[in-house]
Amino acid sequence: MDMNEIKEIFFQECEEQLAELESGLLKLNDGDRDPETVNAVFRAVHSIKGGAGAFGLDDLVSFAHVFETTLDCVRSNKLEPTQDVLKVMLKSADVLADLTNAARDGGSVDEARSRTLIRELEALAHGETHAAEPAAPKPVAAAPKPAEPAPVVAKPEVNDEGFQPIPFSFGDFDEEPAAKYVPTCQIVFRPNRELYAKGNEAVLLLRDLSRLGEMSVYCDMDRLPPLDKMNPEEAYFSWKMSVTTDKGEDGVRSVFEFAEWDCELDVRTIEEEVTGEAADDDEPPMQAVPFDLSLLEDGPAVSGDEEPVVSESDATAAIAAADTASKVAQVASRAAENAKAAAAATAAQASQASAAGQTIRVDLDRVDRLINLVGELVINQAMLSQSVVENDNNGVSSINMGLEELQQLTREIQDSVMAIRAQPVKPVFQRMARTVREIADITGKSVRLITEGENTEVDKTVIDKLAEPLTHMIRNAVDHGLEMPEKREALGKNPEGTVRLTAKHRSGRIVIELADDGAGINREKVRQKAIDNDLIAADANLSDEEIDNLIFHAGFSTADKVSDLSGRGVGMDVVKRSIQALGGRISISSKPGQGSVFTMSLPLTLAVLDGMVVTVAGQTLVVPLTAIVETLQPEASAIHSFGASQRLISIRNSFCPLVDVGRILNFRATQANPIEGVALLVESEGGGQRALMVDAIQGQRQVVIKSLEANYTHVPGIAAATILGDGRVALILDVDAVVAASRGQPLRQDISLAATG
Amino acid sequence: MASKKAAQKSLSLAPVLDLNEATALHAQLMGLKGGPLVIDASAVERVGALCAQVLMAGAKSWEEDKQPFTFAKVSEPFMKTMQLIGVNIDHLLAQEARQ
Repeated sequence: MDMNEIKEIFFQECEEQLAELESGLLKLNDGDRDPETVNAVFRAVHSIKGGAGAFGLDDLVSFAHVFETTLDCVRSNKLEPTQDVLKVMLKSADVLADLTNAARDGGSVDEARSRTLIRELEALAHGETHAAEPAAPKPVAAAPKPAEPAPVVAKPEVNDEGFQPIPFSFGDFDEEPAAKYVPTCQIVFRPNRELYAKGNEAVLLLRDLSRLGEMSVYCDMDRLPPLDKMNPEEAYFSWKMSVTTDKGEDGVRSVFEFAEWDCELDVRTIEEEVTGEAADDDEPPMQAVPFDLSLLEDGPAVSGDEEPVVSESDATAAIAAADTASKVAQVASRAAENAKAAAAATAAQASQASAAGQTIRVDLDRVDRLINLVGELVINQAMLSQSVVENDNNGVSSINMGLEELQQLTREIQDSVMAIRAQPVKPVFQRMARTVREIADITGKSVRLITEGENTEVDKTVIDKLAEPLTHMIRNAVDHGLEMPEKREALGKNPEGTVRLTAKHRSGRIVIELADDGAGINREKVRQKAIDNDLIAADANLSDEEIDNLIFHAGFSTADKVSDLSGRGVGMDVVKRSIQALGGRISISSKPGQGSVFTMSLPLTLAVLDGMVVTVAGQTLVVPLTAIVETLQPEASAIHSFGASQRLISIRNSFCPLVDVGRILNFRATQANPIEGVALLVESEGGGQRALMVDAIQGQRQVVIKSLEANYTHVPGIAAATILGDGRVALILDVDAVVAASRGQPLRQDISLAATG
Repeated sequence: MASKKAAQKSLSLAPVLDLNEATALHAQLMGLKGGPLVIDASAVERVGALCAQVLMAGAKSWEEDKQPFTFAKVSEPFMKTMQLIGVNIDHLLAQEARQ
C-alpha cells in the first residue's frame, strides 16, 4: 500500500462521510434530536478532519475544525440545532464537500464563501459557549518551558516524511518540572489494526505525546505472538504512559484525536503525589524516561558514511534512558496480568464489530470487463445450444440436459454480476438536496425537498448519467416552477415550496418522478413562445399535453430573463436527450396553479434484457418482456374496425387499440390480417394498454443489449440490437415509440410532439 | 562485525521501516529462523510500531529457539524510537554497540 492508494481510500471514505453528514443534518433538520444522529454528524466531520490532517490538507482541516467545534456545541447541548443553525451547517457541509473535491482533483474553491461560513460557524459556537476553542487546526507542539526560551515553536517545518523538528535541549532534563502544579495524565493506549492500516503510526502519536511534557512509557508486549504466528500488520503492542503536562487531559486527547476511532484510549488525570513511588498496588509505578527527540528530526542519516556518527553525549543519554526503560519494563510487567483480561475482552469486541457487513472496493473497469465477458458468455451459450439442437436428431440427449444446466448457471452468473453494479440512487438524490438549497438561496425562495425511495437500486451507469439531467430539472423546478413566497402566500399556498423526488421500480424499470407544487406550466406563454420561435404555426391547434411537451424543444425557454441558474434555453431538450440516451423516456404533466410532474422511466441495466423473440414480416424482433402484459391469439369476432384505418380488439369486455408493428416500422405496405398473427398486450409509459400485432412468437430469451447508437445510429422505433444464438442481429423494439407512432404521429425522433417521446 | 562464527547470518534493516515494510521484514526474519542472527540497524532512519512488533516477535522466537539474536549496530533514530515507544532492546545489543 503506498501513500497514493491510502489517499485514494481516504477520499472514497470522505465521500461516504459526506453523505453520512448530509443525511444526518437533514434528519436534524426534520426535527430528529437523537443524540446518535448528532454523534454521527460529528463523527463524519471529525473523520474527514483526521484524514485530512494526516495528508496535510490544511484548508480542509481548518474548515473541518471550525465546523467540528460548532457541532460539538450542538453535541453538548450548548447550541440548539434550530433551522437557522442547520442552514449554516448544511451550507458548511457543501463547502466541506467542495474542499474535499478541490483537494482531490485540484481546482479552487470559493474562498469568500468558506470564510463567511467560518465566521458564521464561529459566531454560532461563540454565541453559546463561554470560550471558543482556538481556530488553529492542530494543537501545535508543546510550548517550551519558561526556563528554556530559546527555541520557540511558531510554525514547525515539516519535511517530506512528515516529521516536525522539535526544539529540544538537554538542559530540560535537569530542570525541576514541578515548579508549579502540572497535572499528570495516565494514558492507556491500545491501537487497533485499522490504526496502522489507515496510515497512522503509533510511534508518531507517542512522539507527539512526549512533546506535551515529561512522559514515561511502558510498552505492553504480552499479546505479541511468536514470529511464525504473527500477522505483521496486526496491532499487538499497547502502551501505558504517564505524561506530566500543563495541557492536561484535553491536550493529551488532542494528540489522539485523529486516531481515537481506531484505538482504545483511556486518559485519566491523576493527582501529582500519585505519580511518584506512592502508587496503588494495582498501578505499576512509572518512572520518567527522558528522551532526546532531536535525533528523530534529523531526517535521513548521512548516506556517505558507513559508520553512524554518534556524539558521545547523545549516546550516553541514550544508554541511560534505555536503562531506565528496562527498569520500567520490569516493574510494570507485574501489571500485565490485569491488562491481559481486559485485552481479551476488547479483542473479542473488536472482532465482533469487524464481522458485520464487509465490503471491498473494486475498480469499476474490472466489473465492466466481467459484465462484458458474461454478456459474451450468454451469447455463446445460446449459440451452442442452438447448434446442438440443430444437430441432435435423437431427441433427448445428455448433452441437452447439460446445456440446460449451463443455461441456468450462466443466467445466475449474469444476475449476480448485474447485482454488483446495482447501486441505490441515494447519492444522486443527496446531491440534489444541495442543488435545491443553493438555488433556493439565490432565488430567495423557500424550498423543501422531499425524497422517497432513495434505496431503489439501479445500474451504476444509469446513476452516474442521471445526475446531470436531474440537476437541470431541479433547477428548473425551483427557478421556474415554484413561485416567490409572497405570491404563494397570496395564493393560499404554504410559502415554503415543495419539490418531491421519488424513485421506484415499476415493471422492470426505474421510474423517477420530480414533482413541484408551483405554478405549473403557463401554456399561453409556452404557446406564444413556440409561435415566436417558429416551432409551431400560429394557428396550430394543440392539446394541453402537446403544449406541455413543447418545452422539450431545442432553443426553448420561458423565463423572461436569462439567469445564472437556468433558462438559457438549452435546458429541457438536453435533459430529454440525455434521458433518451440512457434508453429512458421523460414525460410531463402539469396542472396550472398546482405544479408540474416530470416522470422519467429508465432501464435498470443497460446490459441485458429479457425479451420475447417475435417474427414480423420475415424480420426477427425482440420485444422487452417487461412491457408485455399478456399474449393472445386474436379471434375474428374480437376485432372491430374503428375509423378509417384503426382497429380495436376486445379483450374481456374492454377495447384496446390494435397496433400493427410491421406496418409502423414499414416492414410491409399493407395491414396484416390480425387473425393470422399473435397479439402482445403491452402497457405503455402513458399507462394505457395496446395490443401489438406480430406474425409469430419464437420464444423468450435473455438477450445482451448492443447499442445501436454506439455502433450505427439511432433508428426510430428501435431501442437497440442484439445478437441471437444463430449469430444474426435482431432489433429490440422500442415499445413506447411504436405505441406513440400508432397514435398517428410520425415515427420520428426529433421534432415530435409526442407526449411520451 | 562482531561475528566470527561462520553459521551466523546477518540482516541489514532497510532505512524506512514503516507499514509497507512490516510484511517484508516478517518474511525476511522467517527465512532466517533456526540459526544465530545479527541485525544491522545502522541504516535505519525511521521505525514504525509494526516493524518494532515484528522485530520483538523475532527476538522472542529466537529466544525460544535458544539462538542468539543481536543488534550489531543501531542507528540513533532506531534507538530513540525504541526508547520512545518503551521497547527495551538493551539486552539484545551487541557489546560494541553498547559502549
